[in-house]
Amino acid sequence: MQKCILPPLYDRNYDHDACGVGFIASLNREASHKIIEMSLEAVLNLTHRGTVGGDANTGDGAGILFEKPHEFFIKNIIELKSFSFDDYGVAQVFFPNNEKAVTECLNVIEKCVKEEGLSIVSIRSVPTNDATLGMLAKKSQPIIKQIFVTKDKKPLTETRLYILRRVIENTILNNYKDYSEDFYICSFSINTIVYKGMLLASQIPEYFIDLKDPLIKSKFALFHQRYSTNTLPAWRLAQPFRYIAHNGEINTLRGNINKMKSREKIIKSDVFGDEIEKIFPVIIPGGSDSACFDNCFELLLHGGRSCEHSLMMMIPEAFGKKYYMSEDRRAFYEYYSSIMEPWDGPAAIVATDGKTICGTLDRNGLRPSRYLITKDGFIILASEIGVIDIKPENIKQLGRLQPGKMLSVNTETGKVSFDNEVKSNIIRSKPYRRWLEKNRIELTGLTTIYDIEKMDEKELLRGQQVFGWTKEMIKMHVVSMCHDGQEPVGSMGIDVPLAVLSEKPQVFFNYFKQLFAQVTNPPINPYRENLVMSLMSWLGKKGNILTEEETHCAQLKLTHPILTEEDLQRIIKSNNPYLKTKRISICIDKGADGKKLEKSLEELCNKAEESIKEGNTILILSDKDYDKNRMPIPSLLALSAIHHHLIRKGNREMCGIIVESGEVIETMHFALLLGYGANAICPYLAFKSIVQLKENGDISNDITLEEAIENYINAIKKGLLKTLSKMGISTIRSYQGAQIFEAIGVSEEIINKHFEGTASRIGGIGYDIISIEARERHKKGYPEHKEEPEPLDYGGVFHYRKDGEIHLWNPFTIAKLHEAVKKDSYQIFKEYSKLINEQQKNLYTLRGMFKFKESPIPIDEVEPVENIYKRFATGAMSFGSISKEAHESIAIAMNRIGGFSNTGEGGEDPERFKVLPNGDSKCSAIKQVASGRFGVTANYLANARELQIKIAQGAKPGEGGQLPGAKVDEVIAKTRFSTPGVTLISPPPHHDIYSIEDIAQLIFDLHCVNTEARVSVKLVSEVGVGTVAAGVAKGKSDMVLISGYDGGTGASPLTSIQHAGIPWELGLAETQQTLVANHLRDKIRVQVDGKLMTGRDVVIAAMLGAEEYGFATSVLITLGCCMLRKCHLNTCTMGIATQDIDMRRHFSGKPEYVVNFFKFIAMEIREYLARLGVRSIDELIGRTDLIEIDENSYHWKSKTLDFSKILYYEKNPEVDVRCTKNQDRMLETSLDYTLLLDKVKDAIEKKTKISFEVPIRNIHRAVGTMISGKIAKIYGENGLPEDTIKIKFNGTAGQSFGAFLCKGVTFELEGYANDYLGKGLSGGKIIVYPPKNADIEPGDNIVVGNTLLYGATRGEVYISGAAGERFAVRNSGAKAVIERVGDHGCEYMTGGIVVVLGPTGRNFAAGMSGGIAYVYDPDQLFDTYCNLELVDLVPVVEESDKNTLKEMITKHYEYTKSEKAKHILDRWDISIEKFVKVFPLDYKLALSRIKANEIANSDQIQVTEEVSNG
Amino acid sequence: MAKVFKPKNINNFKTIKRSPIKYRNVEKRIKDYKDVMEEWGLEEIRLQASRCQNCGVPFCHGYGCPISNYIPDWNELVYNGKWQEALELLHKTNNFPEITGRVCPALCEEACTLNMNFESVTIRNIELAIVEEGFKNGWIKPVIPKVRTGKKIAVIGSGPAGLAASMDLNRMGHSVTLFERDKKAGGFLRYGIPDFKLEKWIIDRRLQQMIMEGVEIKTDITVGKDISLQYLQKEYDAILFTIGCREPRDLRIEGRELEGIYLATEYLKQSNEKVSGIKIDDDKLITAKGKNVLVIGGGDTGADCVGTAIREGALSVSQWEILPKPPEKRAFETPWPMFAKKLRTSTSHEEGCDRRWLISTKKFIGNKRVEKVVAEEVEWVVDETGKLVMKIKEGTEFEHKAELVLLAMGFVHTEHSNIITESNIELDKMGNIKTDNYGYGRTNVQKIYAAGDSVRGPSLVVWAIHYGKMVASLIDRDLKGI
Repeated sequence: MQKCILPPLYDRNYDHDACGVGFIASLNREASHKIIEMSLEAVLNLTHRGTVGGDANTGDGAGILFEKPHEFFIKNIIELKSFSFDDYGVAQVFFPNNEKAVTECLNVIEKCVKEEGLSIVSIRSVPTNDATLGMLAKKSQPIIKQIFVTKDKKPLTETRLYILRRVIENTILNNYKDYSEDFYICSFSINTIVYKGMLLASQIPEYFIDLKDPLIKSKFALFHQRYSTNTLPAWRLAQPFRYIAHNGEINTLRGNINKMKSREKIIKSDVFGDEIEKIFPVIIPGGSDSACFDNCFELLLHGGRSCEHSLMMMIPEAFGKKYYMSEDRRAFYEYYSSIMEPWDGPAAIVATDGKTICGTLDRNGLRPSRYLITKDGFIILASEIGVIDIKPENIKQLGRLQPGKMLSVNTETGKVSFDNEVKSNIIRSKPYRRWLEKNRIELTGLTTIYDIEKMDEKELLRGQQVFGWTKEMIKMHVVSMCHDGQEPVGSMGIDVPLAVLSEKPQVFFNYFKQLFAQVTNPPINPYRENLVMSLMSWLGKKGNILTEEETHCAQLKLTHPILTEEDLQRIIKSNNPYLKTKRISICIDKGADGKKLEKSLEELCNKAEESIKEGNTILILSDKDYDKNRMPIPSLLALSAIHHHLIRKGNREMCGIIVESGEVIETMHFALLLGYGANAICPYLAFKSIVQLKENGDISNDITLEEAIENYINAIKKGLLKTLSKMGISTIRSYQGAQIFEAIGVSEEIINKHFEGTASRIGGIGYDIISIEARERHKKGYPEHKEEPEPLDYGGVFHYRKDGEIHLWNPFTIAKLHEAVKKDSYQIFKEYSKLINEQQKNLYTLRGMFKFKESPIPIDEVEPVENIYKRFATGAMSFGSISKEAHESIAIAMNRIGGFSNTGEGGEDPERFKVLPNGDSKCSAIKQVASGRFGVTANYLANARELQIKIAQGAKPGEGGQLPGAKVDEVIAKTRFSTPGVTLISPPPHHDIYSIEDIAQLIFDLHCVNTEARVSVKLVSEVGVGTVAAGVAKGKSDMVLISGYDGGTGASPLTSIQHAGIPWELGLAETQQTLVANHLRDKIRVQVDGKLMTGRDVVIAAMLGAEEYGFATSVLITLGCCMLRKCHLNTCTMGIATQDIDMRRHFSGKPEYVVNFFKFIAMEIREYLARLGVRSIDELIGRTDLIEIDENSYHWKSKTLDFSKILYYEKNPEVDVRCTKNQDRMLETSLDYTLLLDKVKDAIEKKTKISFEVPIRNIHRAVGTMISGKIAKIYGENGLPEDTIKIKFNGTAGQSFGAFLCKGVTFELEGYANDYLGKGLSGGKIIVYPPKNADIEPGDNIVVGNTLLYGATRGEVYISGAAGERFAVRNSGAKAVIERVGDHGCEYMTGGIVVVLGPTGRNFAAGMSGGIAYVYDPDQLFDTYCNLELVDLVPVVEESDKNTLKEMITKHYEYTKSEKAKHILDRWDISIEKFVKVFPLDYKLALSRIKANEIANSDQIQVTEEVSNG
Repeated sequence: MAKVFKPKNINNFKTIKRSPIKYRNVEKRIKDYKDVMEEWGLEEIRLQASRCQNCGVPFCHGYGCPISNYIPDWNELVYNGKWQEALELLHKTNNFPEITGRVCPALCEEACTLNMNFESVTIRNIELAIVEEGFKNGWIKPVIPKVRTGKKIAVIGSGPAGLAASMDLNRMGHSVTLFERDKKAGGFLRYGIPDFKLEKWIIDRRLQQMIMEGVEIKTDITVGKDISLQYLQKEYDAILFTIGCREPRDLRIEGRELEGIYLATEYLKQSNEKVSGIKIDDDKLITAKGKNVLVIGGGDTGADCVGTAIREGALSVSQWEILPKPPEKRAFETPWPMFAKKLRTSTSHEEGCDRRWLISTKKFIGNKRVEKVVAEEVEWVVDETGKLVMKIKEGTEFEHKAELVLLAMGFVHTEHSNIITESNIELDKMGNIKTDNYGYGRTNVQKIYAAGDSVRGPSLVVWAIHYGKMVASLIDRDLKGI
């Protein structure tokens, strides 16, 4: 097998996968070959959810898991002839592809089998045919053998085989490390077998000849189609695994693995007895998240839990107060939360033990899972409906898995059990509720009374100095949080050096950056979907997960992890035998150098271990005893050192850890401590400081001390929820220890020893510098020869101060740039760029440490500036975040030079699409598609040169945004298709991108709507961004944008501005290396942005791999911005980041200034190119060999950095290192392209009416989208007259049915549909009803999928049947009638009308700020399902409401012949009383305001209204 | 004062109008030499302070103010009524806010971001209010160093640079002797600036504090004459030259020798002495009373001459400038946040003065005493090399009646007195002292440092304070051997 050498920044640990998944089972208790055939058909029809790799025939992996084909084996293997089913087990094994290895591995197997008391019956080579495989798959294919094992000295059981498998695996790993990568046991079981490989779905039966044999029979099959970000050989990563197949991603993996490891001393079970050691480590290193999940699952299973029970432990549903559930069930989950943390992340899991098959969804329900039960006795569950052709009349039931819900099939009885039935058996198997009541310990009165002793002012100041506080931290974080209980907000990104580049001593926290979810899993909205979030955790010794004992929950239950000093006292003095506390000081001698620090840490670790041996269950790591002679070790370092030490020793779960530290101030500090193992935190100095602040009058008189502290704690809680949700994690229990951070500038030594598993890729500080920084801080608190502590430094991270942190945008750079562009003076520009480029004295950025290897050529040989202009783009700043004047100036300027301006997330006035008389154009070349989908219509998309999917933005990756109603004036409302005064919320995730295959879908949709435009995806730099970029490349994006963490923003929490994401240098280099290694670089362009300020920045970006360059803040500066950092307050006195007309009057920027800026940048680039001896930018891309490290830039910290990984140079790359090919956009798979466009050509051109019928399947995606794009291009917003094009479809529609459907087009679907129907609906009409001959009740069956009408702006939809989650999410104008919806209906809706003729799921109307919903609610329980934060529920009494409702329902009946509609209409007078109107408060106000205005403005209107009302 | 905290309205910059401290009525104020400013109300100052936006990049602090006053921070403290904290913060960067608060042209206000589209915060007024609040409440007390280093430093020249350096060095624990050739310390502050802009008790008040802190001030001693530099070199560990840039630019044209033509510095010094009560001999007396006064030179010193002449009872006062009249609004070539080139009208100008631009003085006419001045109009044109050159406008010659002519045409370089010529101190091209830093630093002679105008050339009080502070910390580091 071919080994590949990977480039240094490409770490396969960050590979992601997601996919199509499902199972088929017979309910007739009958094994058949048909099941195998059906499952192969199903995988084939999920092909679009997987991808191909660098070569077209290498799949990412596919496979099936089914019953051991006993009949087949006994016929083909002589030795088995007399065996009955249970007499033998079979292992399906991948061997490394060489003779010697096979022999050696087989020897190991034989030896182990013997040692374990079993014997081998036979070994069979699995016949394969690799004729159709792609080059990459072929080169890496293993030798596959089946090994048959039977009992010998010991009886044969599944558990025996599990132990044996682990023994074999460990033996290979320990003795034949070279083989361990490729030696892999797919399955080893008496009951089941797995056939899988790095295959395309269609290749499974071709490759595995066995599968065609009719003797291969099964009662069920699990199947999986993989979409991974990598293309490198990974046969073993194909799914299913031994027990499960998973679609999604486990976000908390690192923590789960560590916790599993720390349990190894605790887990005991009679099943394993002494042999338990053999299965360790439970989690096999090097596996994917799904593989690790499988490992944990198998332990639970063999430990005696059922499939269902194990899944409930690993993926518990949310059980917060807002959930209406049985007390026993809540108790079950709470009990288990004390010993097991959730494996958190989007997940659709199917699992089997060979008898029972379960399917479940994570608590957020973020992966689709649809099921269908047929009358002839099959159940099919899959990511999509329609994967197998089932005749309508054969359908018995259609449904979906709901968030946190489970379904189970007993293949022996043929019974399907649904959630309640499955779970009630388990939750009542033990008296969990009583156990909890009896044993759970609660900290009563937590955060109620405050009796914080005041600290002497001088002593407080000493403390603040010792822990590195600054005035700015106090003012901007502490005081602000005390005032409003919110995380403080700022704007315009960050431009100070990284901690390791700063010459100022930094607190250790600052060396870490938060990771966040992008593409492969969605972030969560912690406000609008907070019912799934939880900060509850347990403190104390954890119990054995393989047993159920009542004292397992004898731990302290905390509602959140922030403890006051009083709480801590209460815990210490509790006298509870389960809460034995031990305080461990983390202070050391003030003179301690690096060596001493290292030694002290070792001692601390030992002390912690000792303390556990003494029987303590809670360790309190405290730095409260600092004094003149003792200084604190950074709390994070001390904590993580101990945490990891205890994990290694296997006893971390024997105790809880509380950190009591004076260093802790803001959210990031709490998050880091929790992320590296703390269970609770007491920020005592913060509390003391608040007392002082109150005393000094720095906190408003209106706020009492109690309120101030309460507010501070609340702000931190909110901040923590946000930090969790950014990563898509719902509970603090699984965040804790999950290490979702990257270190920048921390040495390998420190990381490996104390932060194992954390990425840190450029080396950095070690013990020496950590101790120097600690000593510096201590000295300021206790200066030599001085009585008084030094006064606090200002800090100056967010606000510039001359003696504070240095800023790239400082008064001098800003002033110079203003002057240069105004005077059109290149000379002054050079003075400006010199201030930024020459960083030897002031090191701002990583690239500041670079210098070039020069070999000059004459400058006239270098390509002209005009060529370079095409590579320039401006950042996505929405009209809304910046003023109309600023936005249009940028667009005009970029169109003049032929660059790209960006709409940002806010739509664009169609007026701007027209060219101005002077030849200028205000039309932005890049139309952004962000999570709010504001103004994203077919017309908007059709008028673009690039369509950009914004996944994240540098200043606040993983977060949503909000444009307060006050800022939404008429023009903004118009371009965003909303109502003035109505608050507009952008959700954190795109609700149509929960995983990597989803983004491929959106890219496809966008390619369809505008076949000319390129599609790009904007990502933010973090470790693993390269693999995400690879996934995006495989999803057929034409360009990927890597943003630095430092990008500007209109408003973002300060924590996010400073601590989330990493510099682009790292992300870009990783992207380049990963794309090249995966043979994808030649198919996708790469753009970079994030504080690009000069030509030199661009040149470095090119060398690191980018071919295009984005500028945002610098462009605003040219237009007059001077970094007031007031964007979030609407008071920009330069008229840029404001909508206030008084401010906008003052806007003094001109397109010329922007043009001058880009001219200067291009001129400077040319100078550099000449010096480097390179004639064009193309030649420069990827030329890291031209970069050297400038030793003049070394200072005490920066000299510890090692850039070799960033500057890695691939001498002989196997593909071009820049984009030289076009992506295959796969438009030929579109029904529009192959069929519909031709048919409607005349109708579009001549507006003649046309109607016809066509069959449809789930593989037909984005039907109607291409037609709509064409219509919009010609007719703009208006489209065609109603019903010009009418098409009737029969069958099951694929995803994005009718996406962006234009006015004038009507789709009628007799059948079913998948997710994203009517996405971005732009005036079209969609009608769906189940097949006429189907014998089902539409309202009780899932007819359409999740996330319908996402971002719809206009149009009508009538669906006879039920929909899944998030119906009409972010709808801003469409009218829809539906008969039942799942959770989160009408979320973030801002306009339009939705009528629901039946029940809704939970959290209806969350974040709904506009539009109206009418819900038929005969039980009058709707308010318990509705999120009432932003809406009122009112009865339908107004005549106009009644009329609207009746009209819509009547139409619904006419179009769909819905029985339900008929029923309601027939009894209209009674029915109408049962409707509830959901009326958003904002909207109500806005409407009344508009109405009042109209009345005030015109008598005419008043008259008409009176008339119509009369 | 009560500590009241209420978050301010962020729109105050818009809703509250800029309102600087008022000047006294012209009629009244020209009758005396008292400060032209009226009393101010603390409440109004607080409101004005609340107009500060607390910018992300405060150009006032970071660009405008040479000594980087923490302007946004003390603005906020003032708004919250924390005057004493504000004072502490102000004193951190500025030794003499009561002086800059009166005479500084307020580069900070020029650079205020509100100065672009709105009106800048009245920073200078706020500064003044803070420090005067401090004096009023007795918060400004001598800061006596606890430990003496035993190092001795001689500072020559008691202008703002010398004073600032002396104060800082003394507080660092060194023993400082400040030498001044005039009768009283203060240098140009005392003898160059008229009382109506800076009453002299203000300097005395601060000197008193410095003396109590331990600075030894020796006046009426000219180093190089009364005491030799060699002696100082022997006795002191460091010597600092802060001797200013006092060599005036003269106008050597026909008739210059006539009586009644004086350098502005001579005139202002005498006037300051008179106001302080010193009697001047009649034969040396320069007075504008009853005369037509012509001030040649359009700068600040010229304006001070104008105000003084008016107070002395001049018949008329004219002021000529050779350069073109600056634009009413900020000139294109000096965009924000630079100190704008634009027409500036001082309080003196308000008091009655005929200002003319583009005038070149040709000769003085008179019989022993000057009676008339002959002048021509000029224009500035760009020559073939792109340089601006002056051209006489033919046929524009005119005569102007003047019995007192004051030459306020700036200064050329530091005075080349004995201590300079005999000490082998290297000078730069302009004739100022050469140091290893811009505006301050070590000279070529061991132990000798220099700072302020004598190094940089003529400039503002605030720059002198800045260089004084910079040189103090340099000397401190050198003496401590860090």
